[in-house]
Amino acid sequence: MGEAAERFVVEGLVEQTSAGPRLIGSRCRGCGTFYFPQKASCPNPACTDKAPVAALLPDQGTLYSYTLQRYQPPPLFRMDGWEPYLLGLVDMGEGLQVMGMLTGVKEQEVRIGMTLQLVTEPLYCDDDGTAVLTYKFTPAGTAL
Amino acid sequence: MRPVYALGAGAHPWGKWPEKPQLQLALEAMSAALADAGIVWAEVQGLVAASSRFEGGMGWGLHANEVVQAVAEQGIPCINVGGACAAGAIALQTAHALVASGQYDVVAALGAERMPKGFIPRPPGSADDRSDNDFLRWVAMGATNPAYWAIEARRRQHEHGTSERTLAQASALMRRNAGGNRLARYRDPINEDDVLASPMVADPLHLLQICPVSDGAAAVILGSEDYVRRSGKAAVRVAGCAVGSGQFGDPARRIPTISSTVREGVAHTSEVTGAVRAAFELAGIGPEDVDLLEMADNSAWHILAWPELFGFYEPGQGDWMLEQGKLAIGGELAINPSGGFLSFGEATTAQALLQVSEVLWQLRGEAHGHQVPDAKVGMTAVLGLGANGGSVILTR
Repeated sequence: MGEAAERFVVEGLVEQTSAGPRLIGSRCRGCGTFYFPQKASCPNPACTDKAPVAALLPDQGTLYSYTLQRYQPPPLFRMDGWEPYLLGLVDMGEGLQVMGMLTGVKEQEVRIGMTLQLVTEPLYCDDDGTAVLTYKFTPAGTAL
Repeated sequence: MRPVYALGAGAHPWGKWPEKPQLQLALEAMSAALADAGIVWAEVQGLVAASSRFEGGMGWGLHANEVVQAVAEQGIPCINVGGACAAGAIALQTAHALVASGQYDVVAALGAERMPKGFIPRPPGSADDRSDNDFLRWVAMGATNPAYWAIEARRRQHEHGTSERTLAQASALMRRNAGGNRLARYRDPINEDDVLASPMVADPLHLLQICPVSDGAAAVILGSEDYVRRSGKAAVRVAGCAVGSGQFGDPARRIPTISSTVREGVAHTSEVTGAVRAAFELAGIGPEDVDLLEMADNSAWHILAWPELFGFYEPGQGDWMLEQGKLAIGGELAINPSGGFLSFGEATTAQALLQVSEVLWQLRGEAHGHQVPDAKVGMTAVLGLGANGGSVILTR
């Protein structure tokens, strides 16, 4: 057996760089606004250029708020070994806030304002054995 | 624009009605509204219906056409409007414009809904890729609607020190109000301990702090001054009526998006706050004039936060207002004397018209069992998917 196959839950959300994963968003060449995920146009009414181009977002942010999701979401969401998990809203700078699962941190340890690092983790294994990954955030300094 | 009046309103009680198709709920709400207005179908010159994605409308959202084909084939315009959970407000706005323009004298706005069980499923026809937020939020993180409200509530606790008990008190107040409202689905009293003992869904929100889904229908009939005079009922005027969409930079955690681009100075939930501001301007009044507010309380957090966003009082003051009893029936500003979404359960497209019906009955002094004393000015506020907001002000 070779290295196990991997894929992301959705194409075009995350880029694996040599320095680790980064979220793929857009930056408008006209008004400079960052978006996530990539946008077809720029919804800023003051922007006349409407010219978003793909851009990698910072790989760290600060926690703005969070919740512990206790009920299993409907089937479009898949997760091997279901258990309640933390969902965070992370401030990535320049006004962009991104939601994502938190990992490597217990509910009692979560603090609004803590620095978080972007990571990727498998959510589940496909029927053909492919590991399906999503992006998550983990306390900075603890990422492997 | 000429003045427009609320001639009458009717509603089918909220609940689960497996034996009654959506069309039946719609017909019963319309019959009740016509009786309340003292008119018959032959006098209705136009029907605006909220389009539902769940049932009826011949699969095309043609809910107004379906109703007239069932009960009154009289050539009137049938207008069907989308707006998800705000569709009822957009229907009312449209009916208002038809009467205010002078083109028609009597127009009805209708919303009727039977909801599927449990979490609202993703609609068909969307692409399974990153262009669809409602796909992303499920596959990438499984973000349920309560999780969005919980993230707002948690941030409020951080900023304003809102306690679990105060959040629980909001649910208890809604249930107390619903106790006297025969249209509400949940009417048994609950106290703060009951709320906190209910299962935690998404911290800090418990099951009894989140609105369930229900079946229900409501209709409001608008008309000209001549018609309200003829009806002999108290003249309740639509003093303000507005819909709006979201502003760039809005910091709200907007379902089903997985990010927000936040800009300083932009109102939170701008689609609703914008509609509220526009309704105030049209009516020429301000928050200090309002006796009751019927607003979309999808969660206990909304009860605390929304009146602040609308300018009724300062950010963070909602906790104190609630704790002091100032938001109860008989208090400074009665919030959801009907019992709100928390006591009704949300019948999405019908909800905004139930709100307007409630305000009409309150201003007439007919809200038996949950009457706000001497109510003269009532306001509604509702939010729908796609960043749709709506607000209506009635005065007598």
